[in-house]
Amino acid sequence: MIETIKLRKDFKEKTVVEDVDLYLDKGESVGLLGPNGAGKSTTISMISSLLKPTSGDVKLNGESVVKHPSELRKVLGVVPQEIALYQELTAYENLKFFGRIYRVPKDKLETRIQTTLKLVGLKDRQKDRIKTFSGGMKRRINIASALLHHPKVLILDEPTVGIDPQSRNYILEMIRQLNEQSGTTILYTSHYMEEVEQLCDRVYIMDHGKVIASGSQSELLSILSNEDTMRVQLNQMSHSLVKAIQEIDVIRQVEETGDGIKIIAKKSTNLISNLVKLADQQNIKILNFQMENPSLEDVFLHLTGRTLRD
Amino acid sequence: MLTFLMKDLLLFWRDRKEVLTVILLPLVLVVVLSISMAGLFDENQSDNYDLALSLVMEDHQSKAIEEFKASVHQSDRIPDNGKQEVIAGVEEHPPVESLMDFLTSPELENWLTVETMSKGEAKERIENGESNAMLLIPEGYTAQLLKNIYLDQGTAPSLQFSAKETAVEVDMIHDVIDGFLEQLNLQYVVSMSGGEVSMNQVEHPEGGTEVVDNDHSFSLTMDQYFALSIGALFVLFMASTVASRTGIEKREHTFNRIALTNTPGLHFLFGKTCATFVLSLLQILLIFIGSHLILGVFSERSFTFWMGMIFMASVYALAIAGLSSIMTSVSLRLKNPDAADGIFMTILMVFGTIGGNFIPIYVLPNWLQQIGEWTPNGLTLAILIEWLQFEDVSTLWLPAIRLLGLTLIAIGVSTMLYPRRGEIS
Repeated sequence: MIETIKLRKDFKEKTVVEDVDLYLDKGESVGLLGPNGAGKSTTISMISSLLKPTSGDVKLNGESVVKHPSELRKVLGVVPQEIALYQELTAYENLKFFGRIYRVPKDKLETRIQTTLKLVGLKDRQKDRIKTFSGGMKRRINIASALLHHPKVLILDEPTVGIDPQSRNYILEMIRQLNEQSGTTILYTSHYMEEVEQLCDRVYIMDHGKVIASGSQSELLSILSNEDTMRVQLNQMSHSLVKAIQEIDVIRQVEETGDGIKIIAKKSTNLISNLVKLADQQNIKILNFQMENPSLEDVFLHLTGRTLRD
Repeated sequence: MLTFLMKDLLLFWRDRKEVLTVILLPLVLVVVLSISMAGLFDENQSDNYDLALSLVMEDHQSKAIEEFKASVHQSDRIPDNGKQEVIAGVEEHPPVESLMDFLTSPELENWLTVETMSKGEAKERIENGESNAMLLIPEGYTAQLLKNIYLDQGTAPSLQFSAKETAVEVDMIHDVIDGFLEQLNLQYVVSMSGGEVSMNQVEHPEGGTEVVDNDHSFSLTMDQYFALSIGALFVLFMASTVASRTGIEKREHTFNRIALTNTPGLHFLFGKTCATFVLSLLQILLIFIGSHLILGVFSERSFTFWMGMIFMASVYALAIAGLSSIMTSVSLRLKNPDAADGIFMTILMVFGTIGGNFIPIYVLPNWLQQIGEWTPNGLTLAILIEWLQFEDVSTLWLPAIRLLGLTLIAIGVSTMLYPRRGEIS
């Protein structure tokens, strides 16, 4: 449905997005994952026609839309990372304004506004000004404003940043409903791994402006199929022990946790015995071993050497 | 575009602080300034002046005229048949005597006392504050003046006018003398060509206002001046008020959201232009009507007068809308909205100053006054003052066409400046 080909954006001398190829099939829910500054928002701005790419192409159903984005805009709803609403207007007035400029037919606008308000759970607050809303409520109206024209594709740029867990769950559930019940194609960007894991069929992982991995969750997790992830609980933390463990040849990553360490290592039969030996040498007791299934976070750590929130 | 207009009007209405600033503040200023300045610039205040001018006479007019007659007879520059006429003109209006007659005329004697004395005595009087100014007519003044005008010999002489310090009173005396001498010189020049100029056309100062000898005119009062100038000034700022909202829309990313729809970008721009027009028109009319209701500034004026005021207010509001249109486009191109606001405010302050909204335009140099009349506020203020005095419909058309021209140019420029996709900073 939507496809980007070697999408690139340079700002002055700096390349912010480099040769990004991605695609969204009809009805899919796709995650775009990456830390802050990875180039996710710039990629989205180019896909949504807000920003002209330096090079590359964006295609809708096989037709380039970079030069003539009007067809794309008809089918696209964009939820920006920022609360792009008029704070002095009420929720209803904001929706009415955006509905009109999205050219929702006059006879359908009122129904659309009420349905959308119901969907985001704010029908009873429609006459209140946005500036009086909580962060979560503002986020929900921010999403509602992108839904009035019934977009076939919805792009959400970190729509849950800075809100309480309850509102976050509400928003995630709402997006899932849109995808599953209305068949809306979703492109969801976040640096919250668990959201992407919960919502998306496929994932693109971006770092430093490039897509460094892509595929279904199981495909991405298989990157770590030759590796074990384990949590080791210790009676005390020791930096010298961490340093010693890092020198074991099968070790890929060692990360300190609150009560011990998390290790990613190549599958090896004598890893545990080596760990016990090193701990004994430093008079540190291992209280517990726990083998973990790898997560997308581990995949990211494996690919980039840092966590998503670094 | 109507959607954008309604949105902008609604946003403006919701900002109560802004509404109070643009509507109430100018009204308060008109009332306060009118009341506080009433004592200073009362129309009949000239009757209350008691100004003293010390005159020092070093010129010998009779002797100079005799010498001039001889020179005229010998001159080849004046044709023989015109020589007698020139001599008769000079004898009828000898320059120094005419000036003395004027200074002691009944029109001036109510507020100006002229005393002839020696130079030393005059200086002492000024020093002691007994006299407002000294006028020295230097030796050879008459001779030099007549030779310069009629025989084209030498340079034009000057009277020496001095005062201890600059004051409104001193300026008034200076202006009166200047005005008379200009008139006198004109008469001499015209008489040489066989024409005639009446010596009774000099205008006299009356407070800060001007009274023109016209049976069908109205005098301009201070409260009227404040209502017009403050009205024009605050409407000028409306251009920046509306345009600065563009900066907010950029900062809050609502502009990006609008850009993602298929609505033509120019609808956003013209929405702002129309909103500025509506708000400016409402603002200036509310200021005029409010001033009238509170102070009675336009009392006993005709229906035609009010129609003219509404017409000019509408044309001015259009020009302001054009200005706002340019500011909106520039605002979208500049990265920092605060910097844009600062630039707009500076431009408007300059417009306000040279347009005569902060200080009466006649205190500015002539060249600046001429530039000022090319600013929408300066032109509007000038034409509203004229309309208020003469109610002559024919005086409205040319300024109105100029303002409409400025509006069209401004809209054209703003359309060209309006950023395309990817050009928004």
